Amino acid sequence: MSSKEKPERILIIDDEESIRDGCRQSLTKCGYEVITAKDGDEGIKLARQWQPQMSFVDLKMPGMYGLEVMEIIARDIPDIILVVITGYASIVSAVEAMKKGAYDYLPKPFIPDQLRAVAQRGLEHRELKIEARKLREEKDLYQKGFITFVSHEMRSPLVTVLQYVETIKMLCENSLDPEIMKIIERCSFRLKNLEDLISHWLDISRVENGNFSKDVAPLELQTVISSAIDDLMPLCDKRGLTVETLIPRTLPSVMGDEESLLRVFTNVIGNAVKYTPSGGKITIKASAEEYYVLVSISDTGIGIPPDKLPFIFEPFFRVKGKEDRYRGSGLGLTFCKKIMDAHHGEIEVTSQEGVGTSFVLKFPR
Amino acid sequence: MNTRKKVLIIDDDNDFCIATKLILEKGGYEVFIAEDGKIGVEVAKNVSPDLAIVDMMMETWSEGFNVVAKLRGSDATKDIKLIMLSAVDLHGPYDEPSMPPDGAPRVDMVLAKPIKAPDLINYIGNLIGKSS
Repeated sequence: MSSKEKPERILIIDDEESIRDGCRQSLTKCGYEVITAKDGDEGIKLARQWQPQMSFVDLKMPGMYGLEVMEIIARDIPDIILVVITGYASIVSAVEAMKKGAYDYLPKPFIPDQLRAVAQRGLEHRELKIEARKLREEKDLYQKGFITFVSHEMRSPLVTVLQYVETIKMLCENSLDPEIMKIIERCSFRLKNLEDLISHWLDISRVENGNFSKDVAPLELQTVISSAIDDLMPLCDKRGLTVETLIPRTLPSVMGDEESLLRVFTNVIGNAVKYTPSGGKITIKASAEEYYVLVSISDTGIGIPPDKLPFIFEPFFRVKGKEDRYRGSGLGLTFCKKIMDAHHGEIEVTSQEGVGTSFVLKFPR
Repeated sequence: MNTRKKVLIIDDDNDFCIATKLILEKGGYEVFIAEDGKIGVEVAKNVSPDLAIVDMMMETWSEGFNVVAKLRGSDATKDIKLIMLSAVDLHGPYDEPSMPPDGAPRVDMVLAKPIKAPDLINYIGNLIGKSS
C-alpha cells in the first residue's frame, strides 16, 4: 500500500455475497477502505458518491451487464483502476473488458493473495499514470510558455535594432561614406537572417506542439501554389528565371492548413530560386494518383551532392555556407518536413549536381 | 502656423519609439510618443493626432486592442487612423495573442515589426496624406 495518509478506497461490485465478503475481508486487512455493491446500479451510485481509486467489477451480474457498468464508471470517475472479475474464467470477455479500458482481470475462483496482488499492482499503476500525466501537462505548459516567451523576448530587441538600422539608412542615406553604408547593409542583412532563424525555430516549435492543426480544412493546392509563386515572382524576374506550372484543373482538393502549406511551397520554390543560376528554369507539376496528390518542384540549379542529400531535412544542415546568397536559417526544409508529416504527407528529394534538384510533395487524398 | 500632420506612437519599447519617431520626422510628420496604453489614450485626447501607431503587446498580450477599443469608443478620438503593430510574425496563424478578440474594433492597418522606413512613410501617406 502506498504511504498516503488516507487509505485507498476500493469498490467491489459483485452479485455473489460470498465474493463481496471475501474481498472486503482480505482487502480491509491490508488497510484499504472497502465498500461493496450487489449490482451494477448500486455500484455506479456508490462509485459516484464515494469516488474510489479502484473497482473490481463482476462481468456477469443480473440486470446491467458488467461491461456497461465498467464503461460508465470509467467515464465518471477519472483515473479509476478497473479490474474485471470473471466467473467463467472466460478469457474472451475479459479481453473485451481490457480493450474497453479495464486494467486487469481476476478469474474466479481466486485466493486472497491473488486479489491483494492485483489490488496493489493496480493502485501502483494508477499513481504512476497520474504522475506521468501531471509531468506531461507541466511539460506542455512550460513548452507553450517558453515559445511565447521566446517569441516576444527574443524578437522584440532584434526588431528594435532592425528598426534603428532602418532609421540610420533613412537619415543618413546621402551623407554617409559608401563604405559605412555597406557596413550598415551588412548589419541589416545579418540581423534579418537572425530574425528568420527565430521565426523558423518558432514555426517548428509550434508544429511540434500541435498548434497548427486546428486550421485544417479542404483546400485547393493550385491556389496555394499560385500564391507562393506570386510571392516569389519578383525575385524570379530579377534573377531571370522562367517558371513553368503544369497543374491540371481537375486536381482533387486535399486536407490541410493553408497558411503552413503556403510556407512550405514558398520555402521549396524559394530554394529553387535561390539555387538556380540566372537563365534557369523552375517547373512545378501537380498530378493526382490513386492515394496521393503529388506536386513536384524541379529546377535547373546547382544541385545537391549525393553525400549531402540524406541530411537536407536535418535542422541546421546546410549544403553551402560560404556564399551569402546561399545562407539560410538551416531550418527551412526541417519546417517543411514537419509540416508535411503533420499532414500525413511526404516530402522527397532527388538531385544531380550541376543539373538540378527536384522536390516531390505527396499529400494523402 | 503649424500644418504638419500629427502621428502618435504608443509602444512600451522606447527604442522602437525613438527609431520610428526619427523616420516619421524625416518624413515631415510631427510625432508624439506614449510609453503605455493608458498614457497613449490620454495623449491622443490632448493632441488629437491624425494617426496613431499602436503596439499590440505592451503590459499585456492584448493591451493594443484595449487601446484601440478606447480610442474608437470616444468621440474625441474615434476618427484617428490606426495602425496596429505586432512583433510576432503575422504570417504565423498559430499564436492566439495575434488574433483580435471577437468584436474588437477594426484598425486601418496591421503591420509586422520591423517596418522598412520607405514603406512606413508610404503607408502613412496613404492613410492621412503627406505632411506639408
